[in-house]
Amino acid sequence: MADYERRNNGYRGGGGGRKRRYRDDEDFDRRPQRRRYEEPLFVQVRRQLLTIAESAARRVEDDIMSIAKSVAENYDDQELRNTYVDISLDLVLEQPMKIPFVAATTLVAYNLKAELGADLLKKAGEALQKYIDLGSWREVKLLLRFLGGLQPLFEGEGIFPLLEELFARAVDLQTASSEDLLGLELVKIILFTIPYVMTSPATGFESQALALLEKTDIIASTPHALVDLVNTFSPDENKEAAGPSVISLLQSQLQGEANRGWELKCLPRPWKGVQEIEKDDQEPGQSLFEPVNKVTFPQVNVPNPVPNGPRPLFPEVYISVYANQEIDTVPPPSDITSLLLRDALVDTINLIDFNRVAGAKYLIDVDCYFTPYTFVKRATPFDRMRDLAGEGQSWKPEDVAVDAVFSQLYQLPTPEHKLVYYHALLTECCKIAPAAIAPSLGRAIRFLYNNLDTMDLELSNRFLDWFAHHLSNFGFTWKWSEWVEDLDLPAIHPKLAFINGALDKEIRLSFAQRIKGTLPEPYIPLITEGKEKDTPEFKYMSETAPYAKEGQELMQLIRKKAGDEEIQPVIASIEEQAQSLGVDDPKIPSTDALVTSICFVGSKSLSHVLSCIERNKDRLLAIGPVSQRARCQIIGSVMEYWADQSGIAIDIIDKLLNYTIISPLSVLEWALSESIAAGTVLAKSHIYEMISATVGKVTNRMRQIVAARTQPGLYEPQLSVLDETLARERAEMQALFQFIEDSIVSVAAGSNDELMERGDGSGDLPEDAIIRQWGRRWLRVFRRKVAVEEAFISDALAHATPVGTEAPPMQPDTSGEEDVKIADADEQ
Amino acid sequence: MSVLAVNTVDRLDRPSAYYAGKNKRRRYNDREEEREQDESSSKLSNATTLYVGNLSFYTTEEQIHELFAKCGEIKRLVMGLDRFNKTPCGFCFVEYYTHQDALDCLKYIGGTKLDERIIRTDLDPGFEEGRQYGRGKSGGQVRDEYRDEYDPGRGGYGRAYDEQRQREEDEYGAGR
Repeated sequence: MADYERRNNGYRGGGGGRKRRYRDDEDFDRRPQRRRYEEPLFVQVRRQLLTIAESAARRVEDDIMSIAKSVAENYDDQELRNTYVDISLDLVLEQPMKIPFVAATTLVAYNLKAELGADLLKKAGEALQKYIDLGSWREVKLLLRFLGGLQPLFEGEGIFPLLEELFARAVDLQTASSEDLLGLELVKIILFTIPYVMTSPATGFESQALALLEKTDIIASTPHALVDLVNTFSPDENKEAAGPSVISLLQSQLQGEANRGWELKCLPRPWKGVQEIEKDDQEPGQSLFEPVNKVTFPQVNVPNPVPNGPRPLFPEVYISVYANQEIDTVPPPSDITSLLLRDALVDTINLIDFNRVAGAKYLIDVDCYFTPYTFVKRATPFDRMRDLAGEGQSWKPEDVAVDAVFSQLYQLPTPEHKLVYYHALLTECCKIAPAAIAPSLGRAIRFLYNNLDTMDLELSNRFLDWFAHHLSNFGFTWKWSEWVEDLDLPAIHPKLAFINGALDKEIRLSFAQRIKGTLPEPYIPLITEGKEKDTPEFKYMSETAPYAKEGQELMQLIRKKAGDEEIQPVIASIEEQAQSLGVDDPKIPSTDALVTSICFVGSKSLSHVLSCIERNKDRLLAIGPVSQRARCQIIGSVMEYWADQSGIAIDIIDKLLNYTIISPLSVLEWALSESIAAGTVLAKSHIYEMISATVGKVTNRMRQIVAARTQPGLYEPQLSVLDETLARERAEMQALFQFIEDSIVSVAAGSNDELMERGDGSGDLPEDAIIRQWGRRWLRVFRRKVAVEEAFISDALAHATPVGTEAPPMQPDTSGEEDVKIADADEQ
Repeated sequence: MSVLAVNTVDRLDRPSAYYAGKNKRRRYNDREEEREQDESSSKLSNATTLYVGNLSFYTTEEQIHELFAKCGEIKRLVMGLDRFNKTPCGFCFVEYYTHQDALDCLKYIGGTKLDERIIRTDLDPGFEEGRQYGRGKSGGQVRDEYRDEYDPGRGGYGRAYDEQRQREEDEYGAGR
């Protein structure tokens, strides 16, 4: 779009645009022909470099040669030189799959013009230093990968001394604390660098690589305490499916590879092709890539201790949604190809989130960036893979790409980007290559669906959310018929709970009738009449309902925006009646009537109900302090009124929390205590959604307070004020988590009172085991959240200004600023 | 997230040409244009609001909420209404609490489907009273006046176009 504007401006001149009010973008063709001119060389080289290896129709070796030659022969063209150097490094940092090709170009360029190579190395060294100082470890990894590919250019041992130094830092960190994750990250970087050094034209470094591997073994192979917590499958639920940590897997893969003479068969060696072409020009016996004049490896200073990066680190677990198929379509974890592909793809995915269309294209083109025998032809059907299986097998590119996206969608505790990015990326892949990607997604969905019962609960809910969102982009078509048998399962079974949850989510993005139309007959009863109703009934309309008359009266008053003097008597009348009937807390029926009336009057849309709440805000705010149970009733009434469209109920609850009409604890009390229903409530996906959102609000606020407390340049008395706020809120957050723990632990253990009283009390009803499993899965999620939040707070506070620090004299007064920050935190 | 100042591929979280162009049409000379461009881009540098277009007339607030909340908590949602009969006319404003959420929405939601239509998102300097109404002659959005394709989600043919079609048809009938 930006391009159009520029052209418009240049050609039509100032006035032309005025009369063309419509279709500005489309009618450029009729304008006079553009003056023809030669494209400057740097533009040509820029394009060539940016699209290097992208086309299967061109030989990448030719492009490598041509780029290197153009730049070397025109070394005096500064613009060209700078373009070449900058774009090369940009590609390294943004499109990691192209690193081997950029490295090969650099090797050739160095060979043709040593100064050119030196310029690039200097810049790369500077960038490396910068990212080490920042603690941006992914960027460090990518730059090391690039430099590792240039190993033959360096004097002595080249990159190895730097790897050794990084390893020394890792050892220090690991010795200092067994919980250390930064040291593990450094080891992972070292391990991921080795394959790229070994596939460079350099020879004779096997012993260095092996020595390094022997040293990293002890760190890489020791399981970290947090691995189980971030596993896709809890080892307690499904030991077989629980994946290994990436670092331990990589260590053993590399050891295997060392024994096989560093075959590394998926990694491209484009320099080999170049060598072939250039063979004739070479003096016999001299390798093209063993330059006579070597350079020293860029000088890099690794600070001690190394800094933590901006993103909190967690152990990574290897997961594949194509595990245990009858035929392997993706490399098994025993093959180093699995991690080398995954690593390059995941970095690409996370780096290029600003353009999902380009990202999807790189995923679809994955076969361009690895050796030709890594993959079978695109869009090879699954059944055909059977014939191709066996020794020296190749993999299905679509499955490998989709698997990488799912590994991020399923990253625990949280992926780098918002989940919706990964949704959008998969959607885009499907748009680019529907015939190839759709069957791959289908098999992924089946794997996830079949493992719903043992999967981490957070992840099964992410699956639910993605599934519904994805279908909404493709006309809600899914082969529902294959799950028909599962409709006979008990309602609380994870599979049936998933089906119900998914249909509800689909309806929330669309409408009931539309979704009904996409379902086979056996599913139709799941779309109840209530779900198709825009406005649920007002229960007080039925004359038999208790307080029917008052309920109707109250609703009418709220509808006509009556004042307190009219509304209060009706509420009082309900409470009097309740009292005479012996109701414990008369505030409960009156609150029910009030909130149900608000829901009914505001049922037209979210903004209607919001303005209705706004008008009755003071009345609603007054309920909580008087009666805790009546406050729970507010939630109960909303959930009851919108029982068939729980999405709307959740939205309203969310807004009520913002108004502080209800408290986070009251939401938990309502769901996990009043409505626990022997634990069966835990099977409802909208309850999980509501509680996650509520807890998320609390932890977000907590993080804002931590950010305020840890901002630099803060002094007394603000420090103490913030510290008190933090301590208070932290205690509240802990109380909230404790409430969840206490409520669910009894369900998980099978000792919940209601659960015990079901049936014969033996706890052996077939559904009892399912309920206990739900309990265990809930516990796991919220225990992880506690661990993550507590770790975040203590990490952040470790570097905060201690309480009692006075402002140095002559410091300008900054108190006003901090007040604003505190107020900000309160607002959310 | 990429660390580069200039990326190797285009970014999807930039204001559209429409926004830049809208300001340009009002300019009188180059210097003024420069100033306006500066102003307009600084107005957007912290924008938390998005204009959302190409919605079906039947898409509800709840549906929009459901999709757009995937990029962050929504502060305010303003439905675009027909100026005369106050019914939804196919656009809305979504306001987030943070600029980053708005940018993420451009990247991850713009160009995907809601209610089975590809929707359009654009960074917006902020909602002002009055902007919720369509500016077309008959009350809806301008684009729905002259549209010559039939779009069942947006009231059939463009209204002005439809009127003319009707007229021609009537005249043809009268002549016979």
